[in-house]
Order: sequence, then structure tokens, then C-alpha cells
Amino acid sequence: MTTTYKWLAAMLWTACLMCTLLSCPAEGQTTRGTDIAVVVNPDTPISDLSLAEVRKVLLGERQYWNSKLPVVLLIRAPVARERDVVLRVIYQMSESEFKQFWVAKIFRAEAATPPKIVYSNDMQYELVSAIPGAIAFVDARNVRPGLKVLRVDGHLPGEANYPLR
Amino acid sequence: MHRGLVVTAMLALAAGAAWGQSPPPSDQAEQVKALLERVEQLEKRVAELEARGAGPSVTTAAASAPSAAAKPEVQEEAAKPEPSHQMEGHMDRTAIGQLETHYPSLQIRGFGDVDFSATDQKGSTSGFNLGQLDLHLASALSSKISYFGEMTFNAHPTNYTVEVERSIIRYDYNDYFKISFGRYHTPVGYWNTAFHHGAWLETTIDRPEIVRVGGTFIPLHFVGFLVEGNIPSGGAGLGYSVGVGNGRGDTISRPGDAGDNNNNRAWVANVYSRPVKLYGLQFGASVYRDKITLANGTNFREWISSAHVAWTRGAPEFLAEFANVNHHQLFTNVSTNNPGFYVQAAYRLPWLEKSLKPYYRFEYLHTPQNETVFTNLDLVESIFGLRYDISSYAAFKSEYRHASRLPGTPTINGLFLQTSFTF
Repeated sequence: MTTTYKWLAAMLWTACLMCTLLSCPAEGQTTRGTDIAVVVNPDTPISDLSLAEVRKVLLGERQYWNSKLPVVLLIRAPVARERDVVLRVIYQMSESEFKQFWVAKIFRAEAATPPKIVYSNDMQYELVSAIPGAIAFVDARNVRPGLKVLRVDGHLPGEANYPLR
Repeated sequence: MHRGLVVTAMLALAAGAAWGQSPPPSDQAEQVKALLERVEQLEKRVAELEARGAGPSVTTAAASAPSAAAKPEVQEEAAKPEPSHQMEGHMDRTAIGQLETHYPSLQIRGFGDVDFSATDQKGSTSGFNLGQLDLHLASALSSKISYFGEMTFNAHPTNYTVEVERSIIRYDYNDYFKISFGRYHTPVGYWNTAFHHGAWLETTIDRPEIVRVGGTFIPLHFVGFLVEGNIPSGGAGLGYSVGVGNGRGDTISRPGDAGDNNNNRAWVANVYSRPVKLYGLQFGASVYRDKITLANGTNFREWISSAHVAWTRGAPEFLAEFANVNHHQLFTNVSTNNPGFYVQAAYRLPWLEKSLKPYYRFEYLHTPQNETVFTNLDLVESIFGLRYDISSYAAFKSEYRHASRLPGTPTINGLFLQTSFTF
């Protein structure tokens, strides 16, 4: 009987271990692909930002393009590649850390609203076109006419040394 | 017999898994086929309607050329929307309507914690206690005006008390000038304005002694107005806050919520830096000046100077804060200095989806014997702990504390547990 219980325990242990291993995503699972363009509403009075400035915007430390034009942050919903790149390169946070960051940010009264979550490229495109001050992150292959693409660290998507990829 | 049962159970599990992967029965397949046909019909209908009405995406796309160096094939693709895009676009317009900013846009978030403590201090009893239930309100009243509020519900032996911790109305002119009025957590040092009453936000179970809830060392609250913002400073990432308010009340742990108890306003100034090249680092300094009138009518000048450094990227995490509270009695000209500091280090371990964070904190606080505003606050304490993030919004913390208060008194050892969360 003792042997049976040991065998059962070993089976359960192995099953738990397998479940844990399968449920843990591997580090660096996100594949590198095309560049992610930083797009803004065409009326936004800016065309070039450094990566550090993009980070300041995304961290909510810069909330106004100028005194009359607030920044409106648009970020793709989880699983989108654009979001993965933004979290990995700019925020340098995991999904969980990103959520916690914005909970803390609003709790500290440093921002009144979190970024708006967009669920598709179409939605992103229409929102950036319609909302003055909006900024979004789009796969460079899906950039459409009517949006202003910002240079980041002096580079446009597709150029060498473009940092968002 | 047991082996037979186990084998049967495993076979049943395997059969269940196989059932989940088997093709659907023929009636379900017909239903799926019918639904797909229906979707195709709807897609055609939407395409017809969009072609008639010349949808907004087509109009906008034709309005101007991209300023990016987009490849030619990218633009061609954009000009020929696929059927799936049309369907998506139709649904998106509903979602876009929902995403429009409406004023006021009230958001409510709560924080809570449940604690257990057991110490070897004589006369103390071990047991559970309900921590603070904290409600936070944030509401944009317009694109430039926002309201923030924080209320706590506190458990006491015979009842609960409700405390308005913060109530702030703020006007943002731009990133460099934001003015607000209300009741704040005094921007002296780091902890008091970084974590407020959200136990879940803190790595540790409790605040350090120098900013303890209900403590007297630093005036935790401030009623008045505050001007804050960024300072144009390039890579230095400077920011400031300057405020004028009532300062401490008759009970020195409380601000003058309903009016100051003397005609001297307190003022506070705080400058910090978040260097661009050291993302995650913050350091700064604060000063606070007030005239305190105690209940017995004695007047003191209070001068608090504070400095802090914080690295909050998690692996490692480092917080250190120092404050000195100087009291100068106006009648006798006697001055006293009360220094206090803490150093806290934590490291988020790379395993188990980075959910474990061991930490250590050392605290020191000293009040001289001739100090008359504070009762004795002496403390030397070490805290060893482990935080486990159960989910993105809940954590379990366990701590061992070793503390000594007055010289000659026995040291106190204790075990503390907490589950804290946000909702």
C-alpha cells in the first residue's frame, strides 16, 4: 500500500511539474519582427522624439504636447505585437508590472486616466485620426495615409538603428 | 486495487481529453456551416453599405499622404481594405464611441489588507486584524481639471472610523504648472506620496516608522494648496512641488482640517530628479517649515529637512529616506534635532513568473531627551520579509521583525503576515 501511495504521489508531482512548466512562458518568447511606428494625430505639433521622450510620454510624465493640447495615449490590448514591443522596449515591464504601474500612477494623482486600450488597427487608426493629441503604436506595415509618423531618435521605421522593433 | 483505480482514472482523463479534441457531431457542423454562411452574407451587406456611404476611413486616408517613409506596397495595401477590415471597422466604430472621453469620468479603486501579528512583547496578544480599507476616487472633470480623493475605513476595538485622507481638485495648465487645492499627503520625502494608504503598493507590510499612519514624526497630511510640475532640465528629469497650508493642528499628528490653530501657515518645497539615462531612479530633497502651537499654548518653530533615493525597477529595488525634524522653542530658544531614516532593499527573483520578492529594511529613529514636542520615538529595527504576488492585483507578505525601543528595554521579536490587494 505504501508503494502505491508513493507511486501516486510521484504521478501527481510529475503532473504538477508538467503543468507548471507548460504554463510558464519562456523568457524572450516575443519574436523580433517589423518595426513599430509611433503615429500621432496630424495636428500634433511634433515630428521627432528621442526614445527617452517617448518613454516620458508613455510613463505619463509628459502629459501635454503644449498647454492647449493634452497627450491621449492609445495602447493595443494584450497579445498584440505592438503592445509587446512597447512594454519590452519602452516600459521595460512585464504585463503585470505595466498594470500595477498604472494603478499606482492614478493612485498617486499623477494621472487622471490610464491609456485607452484599442483592440484593432482599424480602431487605432480611427482614434488617432479623430482625437487631437492622440499617440499610438502601429506595425509599420499597417501605417495608413492620414497619420503622422514620428522619427524616434532621428530614425523612421524601416531605417537602420530604429529602436522600436 | 489502488493501482487499478489509478489506471482507470488516468484512462478516464485521457478519454476526456480525447473527447475535447474530437470533431463536433454532424448537427453542430451544420450549425457552424449555417453561421459561416450568415457571416458571409453580413460581410457582403456591410461592404455594400460602406461602398454607398464612402466610409470615414477611406475619406481620411485620401486626405493626406503619410509623412513616414512607408514602403510603396504598404500604401497599396492600405488602399485596398480587406473584407475582414470592413467588418472590423464596423464594430470598431461602436467601440470608438465607448472610448470617447466623457466628463466627469469617475474611476473608483479600492485597496485592502488583512493582517496577522504575533510578538514576544509582554502584554501583547497575537491575532488577526483588518487593516485599512481604502477607497480611491479619480475623476477627470475636463481635459485640464481633475479630482482625486482617498478615504479609509479603519477598524477600532469598538467601531470603525472613516478618514478623508486626500481630497484634491487640480488644474493643469501644462506639464510645468499644475495647481491644486485640498488635503494632501505632505510631499516630504518619498514614501508618504509614493504609496499613500495602499498596502498592496508597498513591498513591505507596514510603512516605516518615520511615516507611520497615526505617527507624529512627519506631518503626514497637509491642507492648503500645492503647485507642482516638471522643470525643463533635459536629461536630469527634474520635478518640483511647492505648497502652503495649515500645518500641524493641536494634535500634532493631525493637520488643521477645519482651520489652522495659529496665524502662521506651513510651507513645503520638494525637488526631485528622475534621470533619463537611469530609468527607474529617483532622488530628491524636501523642506518643510511651520509654527506649532501646542494645546498648552507653547510655540515652536518646526523645520524638517529630508532627502531620498529610490530605485524601483524590482530587481533590485532600493529605497532610502532620511529626515531630520528640528524644533525650536520660541520662549526658551532651546533647539532639538530628531533624526530618522530607513534603508530598504528588495530583489524580485527571476523564477515563478517573478512573483517572489525577498526584502530587508533597517530603520532608525532618535529623539533627544530634551525634546518636548515629541514623546520618545526611539527605534532601531530590522525587518526580513518575503512578498509573494499571488496575481497582478493581490499579494501575500510575511515578515520577521526585530526591534528595540528605549535603551535598557528588552528587544521585541515578531512574526507578521499580510494579504493585501487592490480591486
